[in-house]
Amino acid sequence: MSEVAKAAARPLMENAQSRRPLGLLLVAIPVFLMIWLVVWPAINAISRTIWRPDVDGNVGFDLSSYAFFFSDRYSLDNLAITLWTTLVCAILLLVICLPIALYLRFSRSRLSGYVQALAILPMFVPSIILAFAFIRVLGPNGMVDILFNAVGLPKIRTPYLTPWGPVIGLVWDNIPLTVLILLSGLGSVANQSIEAARDVGANALRVFRHIILPRISNSILVALSFSVLGIFSSFTLPYLLGPASPEMLGPFMQRTLREVQDPIGAMTQAVIAFGFCIVFGLFYVRSVARNQGK
Amino acid sequence: MTTLVPVRSRIDWLGIVFAALLSLAIVGPLVVVGTWAFTEVWRYPNIIPQQFGFRFWGQTLGRADVWNALVLSLQLSTVVTLLSAVICLPAAYAFARMSFPGRNILFFSFLAGHAFPKFGLLVAIAAIFLQLNLIGTFWGVVLIQLVGTLMFMIWIPVAAFQAVDRRMEEAARDVGASPFRVFWSITLPQAGPTIAAAVLLSFVGTFYETEGAWLIGAPGIRTMPVLMISYINNQMVIQYGAVLSVLLWVPSFIALMFARRVIGGGAFARGFGG
Repeated sequence: MSEVAKAAARPLMENAQSRRPLGLLLVAIPVFLMIWLVVWPAINAISRTIWRPDVDGNVGFDLSSYAFFFSDRYSLDNLAITLWTTLVCAILLLVICLPIALYLRFSRSRLSGYVQALAILPMFVPSIILAFAFIRVLGPNGMVDILFNAVGLPKIRTPYLTPWGPVIGLVWDNIPLTVLILLSGLGSVANQSIEAARDVGANALRVFRHIILPRISNSILVALSFSVLGIFSSFTLPYLLGPASPEMLGPFMQRTLREVQDPIGAMTQAVIAFGFCIVFGLFYVRSVARNQGK
Repeated sequence: MTTLVPVRSRIDWLGIVFAALLSLAIVGPLVVVGTWAFTEVWRYPNIIPQQFGFRFWGQTLGRADVWNALVLSLQLSTVVTLLSAVICLPAAYAFARMSFPGRNILFFSFLAGHAFPKFGLLVAIAAIFLQLNLIGTFWGVVLIQLVGTLMFMIWIPVAAFQAVDRRMEEAARDVGASPFRVFWSITLPQAGPTIAAAVLLSFVGTFYETEGAWLIGAPGIRTMPVLMISYINNQMVIQYGAVLSVLLWVPSFIALMFARRVIGGGAFARGFGG
């Protein structure tokens, strides 16, 4: 028996040795694509906006494109509206999704299945359809206007083409993943610890603050990082629902690259976006890697 | 938060409030779009359309730009998904089963794409494609959409291969099955469903990919979502957009049905770092 095991084990071991180059070969193409189309563009964008040729063609250290961005009123307004949108979306997402996640985690009623299905549904609605639906509902003469008119209320001031347009759309779009991430974090809160706290007379608020919140703070940060990374440089919803000026960084970069045809300017804006998001990006990657490592 | 201690006998008021608000905010807009798609006349301020009908389905489906966009989108999604499967699945198998130098660091390097704000990265890629004359070409869009599928098509299949029972494979080897036979008869049937779900999700994800297609493909490459953008921006007939929305939602619905197993059990949220 043991000899059979040995005989079987030996070729496996040898195989593992001889397969070493094969393993590398199999992962080579995706790794190459990733380096060429993720790592290299990022490095390229940074280096080409820092080392630029001067009038004589000598390449040298030159931050003038950044100096321009941070002195240009229009660019700064765009950056401000981007930061504002991201912040408002993050707060709204937390305020909306945390109660939903708490409800889903602790409710045993049959309704919770329905609530969960609804909360996840936006994941399967492409943002382009969302944009169209938004205009039909909240746009001028949309469904809300129709219903308000029917009960004798005045028309709403439509959020379409105002900074609130992208906010509503982006929050809608990001609800599913925020709820899922928070829910997965809430899974680590044991029922016993809550029951124990209630037994000694803690009310719901104290249970939340002292038992639940410390356990899910990491999940909250992950959910926020994920949505900040997505929202900060979002394109489709701000482009379709937001104001033309000031515009968020996504549409701004697209216009600088394709319409103004200024790749250096667009890359500068991209690098600035990288800079603002780097903390969230690194935190997010660290959390995912740690989770996978488990 | 009153539900922290579940009480079965009481009416679930909180649940009713959540269900009502979410129905209104999430299902409501979709119902409005669905209604528009089957409407022939709907003038403000009527609450329901004056006339229902399928007239605009014929008109929308009769448009050449719709057909061109649909064919192009299907071609793109097929090419990207096939390429992605061909290069990612062997890599996933290698990551799951083989040991080679740098395995872990290469595996986690696929996260790099998620450390950047997505559209900023797309702009940086577009700046490189500008020099390579890939802007406005089919293969430029294929490349940018391929990158979007990489992590997905590696991480989910890796989990699938790792979940296969190694003892069954070893037993098959013991009775003399060749490595290929083992892979074909033992490994693939067990990992298959999850891999199929990953392939399907990457097909659907590519079908709806808007930002890369718009940034790299315009003006030559008009996929369905790109066509939809132009309908939203400058098409007076509302029903065209509504019919397209309903049509566009069909693949998403199929994905929804198939993805339930991938999303279930919290594994999906963990993949996102939850």
